[in-house]
Amino acid sequence: MGATGLAKAMARIEGRYGAHALARGAAAERHRGELVLATDSSLDAVTEGGLAAGEPLAFVGPASVGKVSLALRVAAAAQRTGGMVAWIDPSASFDPVAAARAGVECERLVVVRARSAADAALATSATLRSEGFRLTVVDTGPSFAGIGIDDLASVLPSVRGSPAALLIVGEERGRRVAIPTCTFERVSWERRFERTVGWTFEVGRFGGPWGQRPLDARALFAIPSLGAATHDLGTRGELAAMAVS
Amino acid sequence: MSGPVTLAAFARDAAAQLHERLLGLLHGALPRVGVLAPGAFACDLAGTDRLLGAPPVVARRILARCERAGMHVSIGIAPVPFVARALAERTPPGELRAVSDGRTYLEPLSLDALPLDEKVLGELELLGLRTIGDFAALPRGAVFERFGSAVARAHALARGEYGDLVRADAPPRRILVRRVWDDAIASREQLVFALRGAVDEVEAMLAADGVAALRLDLRLVRDGEPPLRIERTILPPARESAALLRSLRWALEERDDLGQITGCALGVVEVEPARGRQIGLFAADGARWEEAIATARYLRAKLGAGVVLRPRIADADARLPERAAEWAEVTR
Repeated sequence: MGATGLAKAMARIEGRYGAHALARGAAAERHRGELVLATDSSLDAVTEGGLAAGEPLAFVGPASVGKVSLALRVAAAAQRTGGMVAWIDPSASFDPVAAARAGVECERLVVVRARSAADAALATSATLRSEGFRLTVVDTGPSFAGIGIDDLASVLPSVRGSPAALLIVGEERGRRVAIPTCTFERVSWERRFERTVGWTFEVGRFGGPWGQRPLDARALFAIPSLGAATHDLGTRGELAAMAVS
Repeated sequence: MSGPVTLAAFARDAAAQLHERLLGLLHGALPRVGVLAPGAFACDLAGTDRLLGAPPVVARRILARCERAGMHVSIGIAPVPFVARALAERTPPGELRAVSDGRTYLEPLSLDALPLDEKVLGELELLGLRTIGDFAALPRGAVFERFGSAVARAHALARGEYGDLVRADAPPRRILVRRVWDDAIASREQLVFALRGAVDEVEAMLAADGVAALRLDLRLVRDGEPPLRIERTILPPARESAALLRSLRWALEERDDLGQITGCALGVVEVEPARGRQIGLFAADGARWEEAIATARYLRAKLGAGVVLRPRIADADARLPERAAEWAEVTR
């Protein structure tokens, strides 16, 4: 009776809080250092070294600011470690040419054009539970697409213990779920010959120990023209040091 | 090279001692080695490009080692083990041959090269079929209907399609754990939790033998129904209970017919030498590929066609964005 009762109790906990809510003491947990997706850019300073397997992260900011550009960089970093990437794309806005330009290998990419929030949650959960992926990106698309970060609340427990990292790209932070978030803000427009050709944006860590947003946790990137690769300008701290010297 | 690549090594008239030496040499050089027959081995090279080099480079290195050890071996490289073995068997000792299209290579070969009964071979000859190409041209459904699943498998081999996994070794001792539960378990989550104890025990046995599980066999005893058997390939091979349990959970999630479970028998039917984290290096590129594709297929089954896709750049400089890329269903 003891074992069955315990099994039932644990199943209730897992049913309520997720499949990975419980772990035995002897279970082999993945260490953060075991798999970190470092982009070799200033983004790593913002994300404390890079995205780690088994951890979620959100890129939040207004439309067309550069969230997907950096998400593609992370995808390329995941593929450089030899893994495959799942890109959940409910708004069917994934651009293969931009991905290839960012260094993503289409051969090792699976794009899921989920038709509803439920489908997106199912696909996210499946790819996180699979051993086959290193990164799952959910691009919720524009806010009017009807899918938000809150719709993915049910899959968040699946992240822990997963060999993949979860990156959610959206315009607004979740109201019900709190996950580590990088905020994107446009800093300035790039103008040439009286025409706007690109822009500069800042990525910072929202909340947590980065609440004060120190200079080293704020990175600047530039998109010099439409279709061009994102330029890494460095962290605010690095730029300040350069300005002083 | 992405996708499956198999290197088959073949030594003619291999005595037991030569077989052991060659097996040891291959185990020392390659991550996944399977035994096809005495003196015939299939090695899975998927995902080893970056670490070991291109398959022909690996093959030449193996040939050189064999020469130094006084073994005369021929090597074939092909997408699937069957074609690689057929190629190796028809290559002179000390040489290597590679093909990228298995079906084209097999077409002119005699039907004897396929694993078929004498009776079936006779029937096929009566039908006027002489070569593997003739046989491969038959409709798949008709072959299955007329001859059954075993011949249908040979038909798939003839088409160079059957990418059967490289079979690894049986464990040095029987690894089997049984559990019986007083109350029948009806919930999947409950079952996964109940399996944890058995999986932990399997992990301890694997660790004691210094091996990692490649294939698990789970037999679920059901109340009022016949037992349910689930076979699971673990890629990359693992011995950590978390990885084994995750794989079983995944298999159970695909089943809607679990019923009332009253007991289980969890066994390990194939193992590989445990190589610590190095196995992850090999797994990174290729072995996980199969798991990812299996996930994509699962999602396609759940979400329907036209949802799980892979892009391909058709013309990056195309003026119209819709012409720049093509989309295809993820099948492999």
